[in-house]
Amino acid sequence: MAVLLRLATLADLDAIMALETATFGTDAWSTRLMRGELRGEHGHYLVAVDEDAPGELAGYAGLLAPRGSGDGDIQTIAVAPSARRRGLGRMLVLALLDAARDRGATQVFLEVRADNPNARALYDSLGFEEIAVRPNYYQPDGVDAQVMRLSLGERASAPLVLGIETSCDETGIGIVRGTTLLANVISSSMEEHARYGGVVPEVAARAHLEALTPALTAALAEAGVTLDELDAIAVTAGPGLSGALMVGVGAAKALAIALDKPIYAVNHLVGHVGADVLRDDGTQIELPTIALLVSGGHTSVLLVRDLVSDVELLGETIDDAAGEAFDKVARLLGLPYPGGPHIDRVAVGGDPKAIRFPRGLSLPKDLEKHRYDFSFSGLKTAVARWVEQRRDAGDDVPIADVAASFREAVVDILLTKAIAACRDHDIPRLLLGGGVVANARVRELAAERTAAAGIELRVPPLSLCTDNGAMIAALGAQLVMAGKSPSDLHFGADSTLPATIIQV
Amino acid sequence: MLLAIDTSAGTSVAVVDRDAGILAEHSEADTRRHAEVIGDLIQAALRDSGVAVTDLSGVAVGMGPGPFTGLRVGIAAARAFAFGAGKPVVPVVSHDAIAFGATEPLLVVTDARRREVYWSTYSGTDGVGLPVRVAGPGLVQPAALAEVVPGFAGYRRLDAATVSAASIGLVAELLYLHNRPFAGDQALYLRSPDVTPSAGPKRVS
Repeated sequence: MAVLLRLATLADLDAIMALETATFGTDAWSTRLMRGELRGEHGHYLVAVDEDAPGELAGYAGLLAPRGSGDGDIQTIAVAPSARRRGLGRMLVLALLDAARDRGATQVFLEVRADNPNARALYDSLGFEEIAVRPNYYQPDGVDAQVMRLSLGERASAPLVLGIETSCDETGIGIVRGTTLLANVISSSMEEHARYGGVVPEVAARAHLEALTPALTAALAEAGVTLDELDAIAVTAGPGLSGALMVGVGAAKALAIALDKPIYAVNHLVGHVGADVLRDDGTQIELPTIALLVSGGHTSVLLVRDLVSDVELLGETIDDAAGEAFDKVARLLGLPYPGGPHIDRVAVGGDPKAIRFPRGLSLPKDLEKHRYDFSFSGLKTAVARWVEQRRDAGDDVPIADVAASFREAVVDILLTKAIAACRDHDIPRLLLGGGVVANARVRELAAERTAAAGIELRVPPLSLCTDNGAMIAALGAQLVMAGKSPSDLHFGADSTLPATIIQV
Repeated sequence: MLLAIDTSAGTSVAVVDRDAGILAEHSEADTRRHAEVIGDLIQAALRDSGVAVTDLSGVAVGMGPGPFTGLRVGIAAARAFAFGAGKPVVPVVSHDAIAFGATEPLLVVTDARRREVYWSTYSGTDGVGLPVRVAGPGLVQPAALAEVVPGFAGYRRLDAATVSAASIGLVAELLYLHNRPFAGDQALYLRSPDVTPSAGPKRVS
């Protein structure tokens, strides 16, 4: 069910009255009164329409806010029984508050039936305060009306979003308000994978299940917010490890329903790009940009024209991810997991030009088909072969030189292809993301190469480069701010979700 | 009143009340769509029961035994829902829900995939209506059931392909009411992750 909000017209009158009568019974407005409201110039009436069932209304709501008066009144709001518990009421009220701001209102009033605790809880969570009670206001039931007011200046307008990330071995819970980072809690199962030399999907998924609630508690405490205050939940739907993703998806859906908040199911890779909006140096990401995302699970080159509507996948690895190559070569050299930091450590003092390891997919014939694609499987085998030959001959293996030369081969091909993408598309901007960005040589060579090519380089803070929930929350907040509808509740975990699908 | 969730076989969600019984139950038998359907089923159960989240006293959940991936979806959902609603989680052994109401000695058998089954035995129902588990849950190859299950011949065998969340909820209500211990808060995987530590890199040449 994808629900869209649009301005109500007189053509909606019959459908609105059907819902009005069904919802309010004896207290319903007359058709004549409703027609007058829809026609009036001081009103702003919205209807919510389910794309799958355009004939019926999922809900409607109306605001009276004469320009220049400074005040707004939420006149009515109704959500069809079949569309409840999806955060639709909240969406309608938030849209009316936006309209009230546009009309210059500084405060908005409403009345709520004293016997409707769900509506009251929604208004409380949006920051409305009770200012008066009108006894026996609703007739013939004789129910009191609680009068509530929201001062539009008081509440920060940017959406407060909680993000859940479980696509690999980090359980990440992040909370952002718009582009401001409030909490970034990461619980990693990395140590449990160390003895296996790589991430074991089942071990990761089990760890997510146990880490989830403690991480939620910690994130709320870190952000200093309560669940009630949240405007939306965002969750990684893919790509990633299927069983791991499902833990986050199941939890996010249940949390959204329990809290009656909208849910946004988003793409992990685009989340890595979205992390950049959380930088606190006051600079803003300029689009379009090329993004190079490198981690233990991904190696991708993206062209990002718009964070919420236009991402193109230019290339990706056709076999191992770059981070996996680091892990495998580290093992070969007798170094612990994860390989990246240990290769970095032993490469110090090594000669990156000592051994010329192959650069995958860099020959002219490969470039025709795989201009921005990567391959690290051949490189890993080449390193293994070189090391075996030395050992077979009874020679010492110069670990520092092997590590430095291997690392150089990876970093060289990553940046050669990313910079080619910048040049080919005439985009002088490159954004780095993913855990491998923690590798010092990646950042060093990226700075060198981009400077030489006149390309602006952006690297988000390292804590936001590795997998985390804050980047998912940030992308969710971007979607909310762009007015995108929440995700259908029946989305699944998609281990191969293409980068072009930003929201599921 | 409890929201109850079980994903140890298919996906099942219910709202139950100690006095009024089953207020709503929605299930999907497909054993490979837990993540897809869990949200819709929770929403449908709440809507049809007419019960507000604030009126629930907890969230009952089947802890298995069950195949890993699906089982986790329900437990994750139950924990997150309970966290959001500020209510406790009541863990229940999923086989207890299958045996709920049976008065004769029963051997409950469910699919564990990979040519194995999960089993538990029950002697009947106790004075308050709770199933009395004698042994299990355990994991075994089907051919070895007779050998592994104590007193195998004395039980009627029940092969179950579904677990009712309503039964999970009703068992939880009775446990709660009669101060009985709940199941543990660890998922009943009964199987270690299928992985062995690396023996070291293999030669490539």
